[in-house]
Amino acid sequence: MTVFGLSGPFIDWSALSPVVALLGGAVLVLLAGLLRGRAGRDFAVPFLTIAALGAFIGLTIWQFNRHTSIISGALRVDDLALVVNLILATAGIATVLLSARQSALRQAGHGEYHALLLSSITGMAVLAEAQNLVTVFLGIELLSIALYILCATEMRREQSLESGLKYLIIGSVGSATLLYGLALVYGATAATDFGAIARALQGSVVSDPLLLTGIGLIVVGLAFKNSVAPFHQWTPDVYQGAPTPITAFMATATKAAAFAIFLRLFDVAFIQAQEDWGPALAALATVTIVVGNVGALMQTSLKRLLAWSSVAQAGYLLAGVVVATRLGIQATVFYLAVYLAMNLAAFAVVLARERETDLGDDIDAFAGLGASRPLLAWPMTLAMLSLAGLPATAGFIGKFYLIDAAVDGGYTWLGIVIVIGSMISLGYYLRVLAVMWMRPTAAPAIAGGSTEVDAPAAERPRYGGIEVAFVAVLFGAATLFFGIIPSPLLNLADHAGRALLGLL
Amino acid sequence: MSPTTWAWICLALPLAGCLFNAFVGRHLPGERTAGWIGTLAIGLSFVAAVGAFVALMGHSPDDRTFTSTAWDYADSVGVNAKLTILIDPLSVYMMLVVSGVSALIHLYSCVYVWKDRGFVRYFAYLNFFVFSMLLLVMAGNFVPLIIGWAFVGAASYMLISFWFRRTTATRAGIKAFVINVIGDVGLVLGTYFIVFRGSGSLDFLDTFKHVQAAFPPNDSDLVAGCILLLVGAFAKSAQVPLHTWLPDAMEGPTPVSALIHAATMVTAGVYLIARMHPLFEDATAAADVGTVVGCATLVIAATIALSQTDIKRVIAYSTMSQIGYMIMAVSASAYAAGLFHLFTHAFFKALLFMAAGSIIGAMGGEQSLDKMGGFRRALPFTFACFLAGGLALSAFPLFSGYFSKDDILALIGGEGGWHWILYVLGYLGAFLTALYTFRMIFRAFLGPECKEARELRETGHIAHHEHPFNPETYEEEDTDVGFPGPGHYIAEQQWPMKVAMGTLAIGAIFGGLIQVPFVDDLVNVYLRPDFVNDPTYEKVINGPSDGLVIFGLILSAVIAIGGIALAYVIWVRRPSIAVAFRERFRPLYELSFHKWWFDELYDAVFVRPGATVGRWASNVFERVVIDGLVNGTVSVVRAGSSVVRGAQDGFLRVYAALLLLGLALVALWFLLQST
Amino acid sequence: MALSFLLWAPLFFALLGALLGRRMAPKVALFGSAVTLGMAIYYIADFDTGKAGLQHVTDTVWIAALGIHYKLGVDGLNLFLLTLTTLLWCVATLYAYFRSWDRPQLFFFFMGLAESAVLGAFLSQDLALFVAFFDLMLVPFYFLIGTWGGRKRVQATTKLVIYTLVGSLLMLAAAIATGVESVGNSGQISFALSDLVRVGLPVGTQEWIFLLFAAAFLVKMPAFPVHGWLPDGYRAMPIPVVAVFSAVLSKVAAYGFIRIVLPLFPQAAVHFQELLLLIALASILYGSIMAFTQTDLRLIVGFSSIAQLGFITLGIFALNPQGTQGALLQMVNHGLVTAALFFIIAVLAARAGGSEDVRDMGGLAFRAPVLAALFLIVALATLAMPGSSNFMGEFYILLGVFESKLVIACVAFTGVVLASVYMLRAYIGAMHNRVGAKVQSRELSLRDGIVVAPLVLVIVAIAVYPQLLLKRQQASAQAAVAQTALLTHQLALPRATAQTAPVLPQGGQTP
Repeated sequence: MTVFGLSGPFIDWSALSPVVALLGGAVLVLLAGLLRGRAGRDFAVPFLTIAALGAFIGLTIWQFNRHTSIISGALRVDDLALVVNLILATAGIATVLLSARQSALRQAGHGEYHALLLSSITGMAVLAEAQNLVTVFLGIELLSIALYILCATEMRREQSLESGLKYLIIGSVGSATLLYGLALVYGATAATDFGAIARALQGSVVSDPLLLTGIGLIVVGLAFKNSVAPFHQWTPDVYQGAPTPITAFMATATKAAAFAIFLRLFDVAFIQAQEDWGPALAALATVTIVVGNVGALMQTSLKRLLAWSSVAQAGYLLAGVVVATRLGIQATVFYLAVYLAMNLAAFAVVLARERETDLGDDIDAFAGLGASRPLLAWPMTLAMLSLAGLPATAGFIGKFYLIDAAVDGGYTWLGIVIVIGSMISLGYYLRVLAVMWMRPTAAPAIAGGSTEVDAPAAERPRYGGIEVAFVAVLFGAATLFFGIIPSPLLNLADHAGRALLGLL
Repeated sequence: MSPTTWAWICLALPLAGCLFNAFVGRHLPGERTAGWIGTLAIGLSFVAAVGAFVALMGHSPDDRTFTSTAWDYADSVGVNAKLTILIDPLSVYMMLVVSGVSALIHLYSCVYVWKDRGFVRYFAYLNFFVFSMLLLVMAGNFVPLIIGWAFVGAASYMLISFWFRRTTATRAGIKAFVINVIGDVGLVLGTYFIVFRGSGSLDFLDTFKHVQAAFPPNDSDLVAGCILLLVGAFAKSAQVPLHTWLPDAMEGPTPVSALIHAATMVTAGVYLIARMHPLFEDATAAADVGTVVGCATLVIAATIALSQTDIKRVIAYSTMSQIGYMIMAVSASAYAAGLFHLFTHAFFKALLFMAAGSIIGAMGGEQSLDKMGGFRRALPFTFACFLAGGLALSAFPLFSGYFSKDDILALIGGEGGWHWILYVLGYLGAFLTALYTFRMIFRAFLGPECKEARELRETGHIAHHEHPFNPETYEEEDTDVGFPGPGHYIAEQQWPMKVAMGTLAIGAIFGGLIQVPFVDDLVNVYLRPDFVNDPTYEKVINGPSDGLVIFGLILSAVIAIGGIALAYVIWVRRPSIAVAFRERFRPLYELSFHKWWFDELYDAVFVRPGATVGRWASNVFERVVIDGLVNGTVSVVRAGSSVVRGAQDGFLRVYAALLLLGLALVALWFLLQST
Repeated sequence: MALSFLLWAPLFFALLGALLGRRMAPKVALFGSAVTLGMAIYYIADFDTGKAGLQHVTDTVWIAALGIHYKLGVDGLNLFLLTLTTLLWCVATLYAYFRSWDRPQLFFFFMGLAESAVLGAFLSQDLALFVAFFDLMLVPFYFLIGTWGGRKRVQATTKLVIYTLVGSLLMLAAAIATGVESVGNSGQISFALSDLVRVGLPVGTQEWIFLLFAAAFLVKMPAFPVHGWLPDGYRAMPIPVVAVFSAVLSKVAAYGFIRIVLPLFPQAAVHFQELLLLIALASILYGSIMAFTQTDLRLIVGFSSIAQLGFITLGIFALNPQGTQGALLQMVNHGLVTAALFFIIAVLAARAGGSEDVRDMGGLAFRAPVLAALFLIVALATLAMPGSSNFMGEFYILLGVFESKLVIACVAFTGVVLASVYMLRAYIGAMHNRVGAKVQSRELSLRDGIVVAPLVLVIVAIAVYPQLLLKRQQASAQAAVAQTALLTHQLALPRATAQTAPVLPQGGQTP
């Protein structure tokens, strides 16, 4: 088409529609935020957000089984991307539900908050679909910038601001590294399109220092995003500081998007250099698993604990990337979906307890939960068991799949590292269970350690909120369900796995 | 009815009696009913044994072997354990002895323990013992044999610690049980060697049939197997070095000592060797071990018996010594002789224990010879019985022991060669036997009357102490559980004891007449079918010349009379001699008095080290190594954790540093790849 | 009748009870356990003796993508372990029924879940499924111990679960490796044992996989020196839990050796035979020695179990039919006696002022003849007195070892003697000697009686007729060790030639 004589690329709007839906939703939500009146703010905005995400899901499903590059190869719509989209959307909706009643909304403004959320998801979607170095960076920035702000939305709380700032600084270091890496790769291959890069690497054994350094820098850059050790330090601080719904969102959605691009870049563009980056990633995975798990031991703040555990989980997920096989992709995607369910359940419960007690996310807030609030205790229990990878939960299948992929890809030792990691992880997951089921209910909440000291006790909700409990129960149930009947998820993963061609 | 049918009945009755007493015994009317039922069961069982005997005699001598199988016990992957009984002259012979003596002792017990709180329990145990013993002697397959073997051990344990609040009794019980388990292990391992290295079948007759084919003579496996069987036999029959449990076993009620630890169970070893004779014929090396050990035991035990003061222990050691004779005999292929001595011994030894029991009753539980004396007139009947038993034991001419013991020694002598040593030692033992037996009799019945004896003679009341006590430790008794003391009746006042002792006395006196040289040869003739296909046996039987036999008869008569006379001199005429002797030969006396220090030895070699190792394991090893394994790992992980969290101090500078480091490393790796 | 009913009945009833509320929960659970026991007995009645292969097979694909089958089956190896499991759970539930528990729904729910998990481990004929159930077993026990346990329950349960899971997770990796390595030319991955047996792994692979499996099973048993979790764990558990735990869970491990390790990794099993035999021997001696230094009755039983499981391991790694038969028989026997012993300990403690220390007891026998008799029977069975089924178990086990490694058999016999020492010591200490200070001797109450008596009855019944088990196990036992027996060139026993002619599972590769 031609506008004012400028000829742009052909755009397949149907394939682009999910992203469009998100961006449109963002604009609408921003406008709706201007509405006067509680009803408008408290209901219209979240509703519109959810509607936008709903549309996003719908269009994604509509696009299913499409395999096409759009905008002259900037984006690629295929099942991998679409499955990741579904994960993102689910995370988004859950976040919206969890965010209701958050003071962040009042402080940052409902419209802005949700708009940022949507745009961040957009960034992730773009990232997941990117098959061009430029769009990669575009997506990364889009999702990050939105998140920087979201972390700081509880403006009256220092920790929130601190976490936002920290995330901003370190995030930009990461982005810079990534950008540098991308540039080097471009320099080495004279191509930004993944396919072209792959072709450039075809045949000859990869030994161009320029290219390899580029790959190395890209590895590091992405490692920042999904908190792979030793580039993980920001994670605990940011996770703890950010408003809990945002933490949940970061933990689940960001990981999904970042791993999606990890898969695309390394299993498509750099597939030829697998024996170069494979061991490096494996080493990083090992470090991550160990660091994440030992770091999580003896944490008293649940959010920190989950942050560390998310580091460890990133390590597990890397195993799926390392092997660069279809099985690896499937395992990774499946685990991402599972990871979504169990983390959302856990964070929902954390949020509920934050609101119900003055202990914040301290582990004491969970004492005797099994007796007092079984409806919260069970989802948490399932989430913990699943994260620990015990049978009858989706986590078990997920780990099984990952180890399967690792062994199949000739990385048996990595599989054993994963296993050892889970052994250590039992140390802290079981502790949470012990506190919930085997300790008497905590004494009436004592002041201090509260996350919302500023807000007067009166207007603070003394109950978690039905929607939070709903999220907890829903995803807890999902964790159990997919632990017993994983086939639906496995089919999705299978589709995603077939999306990237040229793999065994 | 066929012999096997009789045998099954004979086996079933005691079990029935046991179960009946166990379940309903306590609810029966009348205070002694349980006892009568128990006695009745055994009595009928004896009748059944006789029935089996008669039925057996109904067949011609060359087919007097019958088997019958109840059910497959464990028949799988090459192990054919079936509950088979083997009925032949040998087993019937044992059945008769066991059930007969048991019946009498049950009768005696009805009185002896009837004031005891454990009356019903006692008879349940006793019936159970008889059942086990019969199972042992009837077994036609190794597994039932082992089962019976272990059951008698268990029964013996239960009855030894019958007064279970006496720590001495429980300690004696566990000692007996453990040593018997060692015996069981020997038996099982022996079975492995013999059956699963050779014959391939647990069935006795199959084994005996295939043994020649399976093993060359004195094959190492066979010898090993037979020696292991002997270990079982020694443990059960209290032969050196596995004898230490028997004296302690005297903690049990006296009738139990009479039945289990004199007449029946302890002779199981003798039976075992006789039963396994086809194996020992091929494993002469093992047989010789048996012969030597038997001989050693008979001497050692006799020397110990000389200096003991506890009347029951004296009899116990004498039992060991007599069984020594039997083991020696059967190991030297003089089967009939050994079993003949088993038969007579059952009578006179049981009799001696019963008589001792009545004295102990009269002493109100006291068992020390030092405290006894002058019971001759207080307990005339007991005295008579004791005398009969003593004379039989010390092989006084024409008493039962005279013929049986002489039979053994004659055959041993007849074998010539190094057996002459055994022959001499055997007669030495006989002399010591006469000596210690009459030491016991003279000290208990002659001499100045002790106060209990006087009280009994004058008032007719049994003396008993204000506070009943444990004769071992003199600690006060726990009257809950019962003990031999007040209310325990003694012979003269109760007919059942009289009947029992009288019957046994008759046996002790005339029992020997069934096999008198040059007169009759019943035992041999009767048992011959068992050993007929056994060359050495025939050789042994016809070994001794008439001259040797006659010489033996005279010699043992002289020795017996000499021993008795000497005993009379030492312990009645001039008690000073005993003291002087003790002073002169202190070491010898110590050796005898401390029972050759066997207990001390085992304590030092097994018990203490075991305890030390145990303490070390639980206090040191478990704490250091086992827990260390866990705690070590945990602390390593903890350390790592604190390091990682230490780096997490929230300051960006640290993060930046680590970040650059990581970046550098990754870049470096990739650069290395490029070269 | 499909095995799934047997497998899921306990969980179903547990859930039902939990939903019906605190009053109904115990009743429903009890009913459920009884029903399950009934089903298990039905399978004995319906068992085709002499058939080596699986019976009542249920086989559907569970997770196609991972080649995991939901495959259940019964054969001689697990038939009586199923009965044992259901019986003990029934009895334990009965015991729990008469006592009040905080949050009963939860307690009985976890009990039911545990039973289903254990049954699953015994029934599953798919490696991955087995591993899943094997790990799942621990979850309910984590809560059972931690919530209703005794002193230091939380530390104890954490230690226990992590310690045993360390082994299990290694096994998870090993299992996956097994599946992936045996994909073979078909290209289709499958964890069904029948498929795995068909493809023999290369020896090198077998060996490290074997070690990981062995680690899992030895920890779970437990064997010396990896029994560190046992003392705290046993002391902390509530009685019905410790009864089923010590009686059944250890058997899952031993069963795993026979069901999985021997058929799948025969070369490795042969290669590591000495190692395992020595570990077993060490367990026997160490367990026995510890058992007679302890004074806490639970620990005496606990360490005696280590010794007993040493015997079972010994039998398994004799690698011949005799040893396997003995091991299988002994698993059932040991399960019965340990459970009975733990219930008796509870009874004794109730009479000794709540103390489970043997020093605080004594003289109980006089006023409690029935209790004394039952205890004596169980004690004698535990020390494997001839005439008890335990004896036949040890007879077969030691015979098996005697056939393969004479010396080890001879040393192992000392364990038999030591057993008599520590068992009688415990029995006498509790029932005999002078009456302890805080002891109130009284007879077995009815509600305890109906818990202990059935177990003792079964013990006696098997003692009278062990052939009941042996006959039905024989074919499967021979099949399980067919390959290893061939590899070790173990000639069948002289007379047994006809019976023990090794039957290769079809397709099973020979060296």
